[in-house]
Amino acid sequence: MTTSGLLVLLGLTLSAGGAGADEHLLAGARHFREARYAAALVEFRVAQRLGAPEATRYAAVSLVKLGRPEEAVEAFGGLDGQGPDALVDYYRAVAAFEARLYVAAHRILATVADRAGPRIGEQAARMRADVERALHAEPAAATIDWYLEQCSAGRGSGRPVLAAAYCREAAFLSGRRPDGYRHAEALHGGGPASGQQGSGVKP
Amino acid sequence: MMGALLGLLLVAADPCAPVTLATAPDPETAAVYRKTGDDERAAGGADTATVAYRNAAALDSGDAASRRALQSLCVEARAPSDPFQVGLGQMEAHEWRSAAASFGQVRRADGDLSAALLEGICNYQMGHDAAAEPLLRSAEARPEHRDLARFYLGLVALRGGEAARASSLFAAAAVNPTLGTLAADLSRLARLDGRLVVSFLAESGFDTNVPLAPRGASTTGGATGGMTGGGPGGTMNGDGLYGLGATVLFRPSGLNGPYLRGGGSLRQQLRLGTYDLGGAEAAAGWQVSREGRGAIAEYAYSFRTFGGSPFLSSHRLAAAGWMPGGGLTWSARYAAQLEDYRSPTLAGFSGLLHRAEVRAALPFAMGNWVAVVYGASRDAAKLGITSFTEHGPRVELRALLSPRLRLGAVAGLSFRAYDAFDTVIGATRTDRYLDAAALTEYDLASGWTARLSLEGRKALSNAPALEYDKLVPMIGIAWQMGL
Repeated sequence: MTTSGLLVLLGLTLSAGGAGADEHLLAGARHFREARYAAALVEFRVAQRLGAPEATRYAAVSLVKLGRPEEAVEAFGGLDGQGPDALVDYYRAVAAFEARLYVAAHRILATVADRAGPRIGEQAARMRADVERALHAEPAAATIDWYLEQCSAGRGSGRPVLAAAYCREAAFLSGRRPDGYRHAEALHGGGPASGQQGSGVKP
Repeated sequence: MMGALLGLLLVAADPCAPVTLATAPDPETAAVYRKTGDDERAAGGADTATVAYRNAAALDSGDAASRRALQSLCVEARAPSDPFQVGLGQMEAHEWRSAAASFGQVRRADGDLSAALLEGICNYQMGHDAAAEPLLRSAEARPEHRDLARFYLGLVALRGGEAARASSLFAAAAVNPTLGTLAADLSRLARLDGRLVVSFLAESGFDTNVPLAPRGASTTGGATGGMTGGGPGGTMNGDGLYGLGATVLFRPSGLNGPYLRGGGSLRQQLRLGTYDLGGAEAAAGWQVSREGRGAIAEYAYSFRTFGGSPFLSSHRLAAAGWMPGGGLTWSARYAAQLEDYRSPTLAGFSGLLHRAEVRAALPFAMGNWVAVVYGASRDAAKLGITSFTEHGPRVELRALLSPRLRLGAVAGLSFRAYDAFDTVIGATRTDRYLDAAALTEYDLASGWTARLSLEGRKALSNAPALEYDKLVPMIGIAWQMGL
């Protein structure tokens, strides 16, 4: 970022929160600009608690910068659709990519390229090409097992958004296999489905 | 309040540093920071929790909970270092042996497969492939480590000469986008590698100046078709050509150990048959490599023909070594070649040719590198007018544009000074050479590669009759198979 981008974003949204929240949003933006992402995250969290819901996505961007992509996915509130800002969407895609949610990352990146500036657009295009190459091959059964494990773990640790994202990823990948390995299970959110086994045997 | 807070935050990451109270206490905001700290601590974010607790304690002198939390974080920070973290630091510093020991400690204590993966990688870096393989195998069982473990297992297999297994491991690792391009490239290379490697090249193109004639001069007469200069005679020296080449490499122990190499090549001019080249070479050598360092020694015998007649017979001893340092790969190479020109008219060129070079290569992105090379050579021929000393730099680039498309380029400048006064040209000859070449390779199918190359040279001399330039564009197809 593009910190300047974040500041601009904050400038546009300052009126949304209360006076105290705005102060913390600004403090978070300053820390972010100076690459103090831990301090930025704290300020955005505080702003969030003080009534600035828009601080949530800036906190999510800070989590991406801090190398906590799974928490970022949860903080972004999901990986569906297109957000109002291409830059934040780019970080949403990075969070998905780093959490190995490649299909979701690809979907978001498709919406970023035309809306972002040239630098981010180029990075997005490169990442998208990487994902396309990765998704070219038929997914292994073990890969689908892993995504379903993450789905289940996400639910167990109180991260429903992340869990749903892993299950959707598993459903997409299993749909690309001729044997539809654990497809119904993935579609049902990782829960057991009749006629489906985790052994790789055709249903 | 904000200015004071920002000041406090400058030391915010240290949980042990004393907390300075804010000039304007604000217990309500302090409570929000404390809750944020609690959440961050629960999420494992020690740094962010520290920032939050310090802010809380600064804004509320009575916030005992935040102070207790800071004290606890301080104790944790001062606790003996986590061997896993220590290992990561050692790995970053390329201290492979110490890092392997640190990761081994974690693995034995907790059965941690992340530690097993990193211990395996460290062992691979040290060349301890037998120790690396079981560690990587165990890490492969964990899905999030599977791709990287397979990538390194592929490297181990490749070094052991098991090309087919290496290729399938790289192909499996290539599903991970962060490894994709490099793993796919290595998979391709491994498919073409093995204990026995056979390759074949057929190419065709055009040489704008076959006889190395000076700009604007014609030495060959006859047909048209050259591009060597603007003068009327400059169009006489170009000619189409085709080339064929084959090599066989046998490495019974894989990359490390002895090897035998043999090959032959043919370059035929379409029109200027007196410039046809042919050659055959046989070599035996030994390579050792470990911990990113390596050395190779080789003896080779080669025989060349020119215009269909015996031209040059030579024996060559060569040695090379490489090692990492300062983020670069440093290498050096030396070769001594005893040359025997077979034609009585060229006997004065016979003698001992020494060549040496040092090279620093900087990797960038995955599988790409740029290198700076400085080379020197000394040709101690029988005659002073054919003996010379030459030296100069060159730059090399290798870029992996996609898993199937590669680009290589080289550009160099060299200075050559002959030993003795040449009565024919009326001077002691000194030359300068500007050389450049570019090569693009595209993989058509397994083992088959299309090649497009362009080589060029501009020779400058204190004897104008010896100045020339030439361009050689070529298109070809190569086939390679590893067994």
